[in-house]
Amino acid sequence: MTNPLHVLVTGASGLLGSSVARGLVELGHTVTTLQRRPSGVDGARDVQGSVTDADAVGDALSGGAELPSVDAVIHLAAKVSMAGDPSEFDAINIEGTRTLLTAAKQAGVTRWVHISSPSVAHAGSALMGDGASPASPTRARGDYARTKAAGELLALDADADDFRVLALRPHLMFGPRDAQLTERIIDRARAGRMPILGDGGALVDMLYVENAVDAILAALPALERVHGEALVVTNGQPRMIGELLSRLALAGGAQPPALRVPTGVGLSAGTAVEAIWTRLPQSAKDAGDGEPPLTRFLAEQLSTAHWFDQRRTRDVLRWTPRVSMEEGFERLAAHYGGVTV
Amino acid sequence: MNPSASSPIARSGLPSLPTPRPALPSSARSGIPAAEAQLPHEAVGAPLDGLDPAWSRLLTVDTLDGPRTFHVLDTGPALQEAGTSPVGTIVAAHGNPTWSYLWRHLAAEALERGWRVIAPDHLDMGFSERLPHDRAPRPADAGLRRIADRVADFDAVVTALLAEGASHRVVTIGHDWGGVMSLTWAARNQERVAAAITLNTAVHQAADKPLPASLAAVLAGPALPTSTVHTDLFLRATLALAGDSLTPAARTGFRAPYLSAARRGGIGGFVADIPHPDTHPSYSELVQLGEDIAGFRKPALVLWGPKDPVFIERFLRDLRQRLPQADLHRFEKSGHMLSEQEDVHGVALDWLARQFPGGTVSDDTVDATAAEAAATPADAAPTTAAGSGSADSSAASTPRYMFTALEENAASDDLASVDMSQNPPAKLTWREVNDRVRALAEGLHDRGLQPGDRVSMLVPPGNDLTIVLYAVLRAGGVAVVADAGLGPKGMTRAVKAADPQWIIGAVPGLTLSRVAGWPGRRISVDALGSAQRRLLAVETSIEELVASGTPASASGTVVSPDRVPLPDPDADAAILFTSGSTGPAKGVRYTHARMAALMGVLRDFFQVRPGTSLVAGFAPFALLGPGISTVSITPDMEVTKPRTLTANALANAVIDGEATMVFASPAAYHNIVATADELTSVQRESLSRITLALSAGAPVPLALMDELAKLFPNAAIRSPYGMTEGLLLTDIERAEVADALTDSDGGPGGAQGVCVGCPVDGVRVALAPIDASGTPSEELLEGAEARGILGEFVVHAAHSKAGYDRLWKTDRESARDTLDGLLWHRTNDIGHIDAAGRVWLEGRVQHLITPPAGPLGPGGPEAVVDTLPHVYRSAAVGVGPSGTQALVIVVEPSADVAAQVKEGPASLALSSLVRDIVAERTGADVAAVLVTKTFPTDIRHNSKIDRTRLARWAERALAGGKAGTP
Repeated sequence: MTNPLHVLVTGASGLLGSSVARGLVELGHTVTTLQRRPSGVDGARDVQGSVTDADAVGDALSGGAELPSVDAVIHLAAKVSMAGDPSEFDAINIEGTRTLLTAAKQAGVTRWVHISSPSVAHAGSALMGDGASPASPTRARGDYARTKAAGELLALDADADDFRVLALRPHLMFGPRDAQLTERIIDRARAGRMPILGDGGALVDMLYVENAVDAILAALPALERVHGEALVVTNGQPRMIGELLSRLALAGGAQPPALRVPTGVGLSAGTAVEAIWTRLPQSAKDAGDGEPPLTRFLAEQLSTAHWFDQRRTRDVLRWTPRVSMEEGFERLAAHYGGVTV
Repeated sequence: MNPSASSPIARSGLPSLPTPRPALPSSARSGIPAAEAQLPHEAVGAPLDGLDPAWSRLLTVDTLDGPRTFHVLDTGPALQEAGTSPVGTIVAAHGNPTWSYLWRHLAAEALERGWRVIAPDHLDMGFSERLPHDRAPRPADAGLRRIADRVADFDAVVTALLAEGASHRVVTIGHDWGGVMSLTWAARNQERVAAAITLNTAVHQAADKPLPASLAAVLAGPALPTSTVHTDLFLRATLALAGDSLTPAARTGFRAPYLSAARRGGIGGFVADIPHPDTHPSYSELVQLGEDIAGFRKPALVLWGPKDPVFIERFLRDLRQRLPQADLHRFEKSGHMLSEQEDVHGVALDWLARQFPGGTVSDDTVDATAAEAAATPADAAPTTAAGSGSADSSAASTPRYMFTALEENAASDDLASVDMSQNPPAKLTWREVNDRVRALAEGLHDRGLQPGDRVSMLVPPGNDLTIVLYAVLRAGGVAVVADAGLGPKGMTRAVKAADPQWIIGAVPGLTLSRVAGWPGRRISVDALGSAQRRLLAVETSIEELVASGTPASASGTVVSPDRVPLPDPDADAAILFTSGSTGPAKGVRYTHARMAALMGVLRDFFQVRPGTSLVAGFAPFALLGPGISTVSITPDMEVTKPRTLTANALANAVIDGEATMVFASPAAYHNIVATADELTSVQRESLSRITLALSAGAPVPLALMDELAKLFPNAAIRSPYGMTEGLLLTDIERAEVADALTDSDGGPGGAQGVCVGCPVDGVRVALAPIDASGTPSEELLEGAEARGILGEFVVHAAHSKAGYDRLWKTDRESARDTLDGLLWHRTNDIGHIDAAGRVWLEGRVQHLITPPAGPLGPGGPEAVVDTLPHVYRSAAVGVGPSGTQALVIVVEPSADVAAQVKEGPASLALSSLVRDIVAERTGADVAAVLVTKTFPTDIRHNSKIDRTRLARWAERALAGGKAGTP
């Protein structure tokens, strides 16, 4: 790293955010973290608070008493869930982003890496080797995708020569300690609640978490060359969804999913569950992992191809994944005491 | 000149349309008024799809009945606007019931390439002036604008427009009625016209031939005005011939000038002028046009869609006879509206570019012969047999032929041919074969077979076919060898395309040809009874011709060149057909010199010496025996199914024919190995006599070679590589296969794909490297430069094809390389050449997979996966967009596990196995492994996997849909 920066990482209490913050510290950057719980990142200045809180945001960006103000922001903080109160999604993923963007510009920030999601441009049809299409809040499925789409558009709108923005859309991250996807799949597989829709043949690509960290770290130098665009980030090794779920379950020490649901049934069940989920009492919601068993969005994700062209991403970031899918499963199995087949 | 009406349409395979309503608007019955010409975009109120308003203009010229106004598509002004001075002008004539809209694609593409297009709408057609009619036109109506008038109209418009710019090169193109008109105009203006192109058309309507059924119906009495004028039935039926290729917007464009009965007088007028019968007012004029067209001496191109219910094959034949210099390309899958279905305009402009290289404007009429000579590589087309093994060098001055070796053995009473499909096996000596060939060649000659006459041979492999082939060659005919492996449909299409003057067939073949209505004089194999003879329209039989031939004592053992002249060595000798696994089978032309060169190479290759004898497990190979002085034995098997050759049948053939060599396809060898348990000890013993076991059709896996080595302990197991266009190019022996696998490292340049060994003597194998998008380059590499890179193989050999038959476009593409001024052949096969100069096949150009890491031939991964247990064979295909494709391996399980395997995604264990070994050996990432129980393959060899179909299936399965079976 030739040019050490002061970087603010939001949402650094999560697996990805904290890993990115640690990576930045290792590279010799000055790091501030901003999230509601302690980040636990050694060597980083930790500010606790929400991105919706203007004071906390101001504090984080200013650098406080000892540090200069922030040069670059890596914005990971978001409400991630398959269901929930729409206004909460709006508040964090749209308004929080807006607050942070405005404050960052005022504070003289010149670099912004925006962590988004491929779902911002996914209307449910099969994607086979597509690039990163423009985010579309109206076409995106579900509150998470809708609000992340709006947030990404805000960030890209703010792009300018003196405020360079790249949006990265990591696709279906997995790895040890990943609570959002990996452990949910493992837990559901253990409980026999993980369905495979149809033949499980839909081709899907994922991203091993360490590769995601590398890609995000690579975005800072990439901003010197390219800005104002969105990039989907994956391992570039699509696999059949049935195979992925089975390998995740096995690596996690569970049996591979045996629950086979015809695609049509899965899709309509998802729609029905979605409709009643919001009206259920909290106790019923908490019975599982706090997420509805099957949403239409999830059903679509499980039954249609969605894998992406990585050529532009790798060109722009000058990055390639270090950990292959196969090695990723090995590491997962080592962590959870499961197996690879 | 087009079809209509209800029932005949259905009969001729046209889409059936609703019967026109009987109640017609009264205006339609009472005369059609005159109307002024219009600009299409003004008349319609908007531009029509694909037709730039800037191309439309109105032009008034003097015609036979005074000034008339034409709408003309003219790209001259657009070219001028772009500041381009035209390379030349293409004068285009549309047919009925279309208009200049037909030429919109040509206009657009021609603009790009600097040609001006002038395409008038004929009077009363398109957006040109409407003529008054008292009633909807009928054939005998006085005052009808007839073909002679229309040619004059066309001349008037074109002459006025050509006078506008500087004088430059003029070529014509036409379709339907426009074909005759433009050809006539070209023939009558040869001093101005440099070349002519026509699409489907008819020059001549022979008075003794019935009209095509579809047309006869339109002309029959009262249906004519109803279908052409009062309703738009005729128009709709014509457009329906374009099938799905016509977009709704294009359909609207074609119909735009003909929306009401008052606008359709011209459509009726054209149909009413179809000159049939010979009392028709235009009949004599059309005979005259035909004669004029036959006088056209400039280069010509015919672009033909055979699936045309009106312009059937006989019109094409007539056209070819009038324009013998014409190049021809048949678009086998298309019909009357071929310009909407194929890139006809691109081919036409490519052809023009070849006729007039340089593209410079010139006032001089181009010397077409010189242009063609410049464009065609001066090939070392040998007039004597090439190949190091070709006979004695003293004979260098006398050309050799395929039949020369047979004649050299004419006095031998040794066995020459054994046909095990007969019971008892039919055995012939060299003398007997030669006597029959001589008698038949003389008989055919006496019956009027002319040099260059094509002879379709619908005879099952065996002695009869051998004799017919050699006799036809000796008589100077061209043998059309469409084997049953093409399937009845493929065979019909192949023979139709070759258009033979003669058919020699066994009863089943003759029946098929009779039912299919193929033309040509017909000769049966066996003498038939008079009833059957009449039924099959047979004039004589091989049996009779042989029996009535002059005895050898009177005539000499071989045909005297004084009696029947020897054919020109550079004239066509045979038309063979590709397997048709990638579309309609293509005819491949071989000259006598090239066949002779092939015999030389084969004789070397088989190491023919006295006593060698060959079992032809792929039946057509039996035909080679007499040409290379070796005994040929046809085993008892189903000719079309190589898999039906059993070890038992093979051993019997070996015993009966005292065979020393076996020549079969991999599928046949698979079956021989699978049935080897049935062999008796005597049979097994007989196989030890075999010194050479050859495979053809597809490369043989090493494992199968090893199995064969056990069956044939004293044989060299060789697997040559070749194709219909070059039957023997490289060759490898079993031990060399094993060596190649062990001494090459994995990865590009090493052991990727299937090693087919080194080029045989006289063959040059060059490489056209493949770029990231999967396109082979135009530049050829040879020697050290060509090592270790993925490319398309491009070959040169004296014994490879002379060209494709009646496929101008295909031929030009395959023979476009000019390295060292030689004729090369683009094989469409991809792979690499290793450091030792060995050729490795990795698939076909169209099966290239393009992952982000770079293009990949399917053969690399397949060769590796094929070695896994329980895998019968595999196919590697790409899904997703070019350049970022996911690699998918499809596995066909071996028979022992097929029953337990589920179709669709493979098990985790198999997926891992395949993925790991492919990654290790080729570095490629396998996205998915799918299983299907039976691969789609070609009929002829059951070897060529239809990867395109498998790829579509894989794409469906991996999109998440229900995949079904491939």
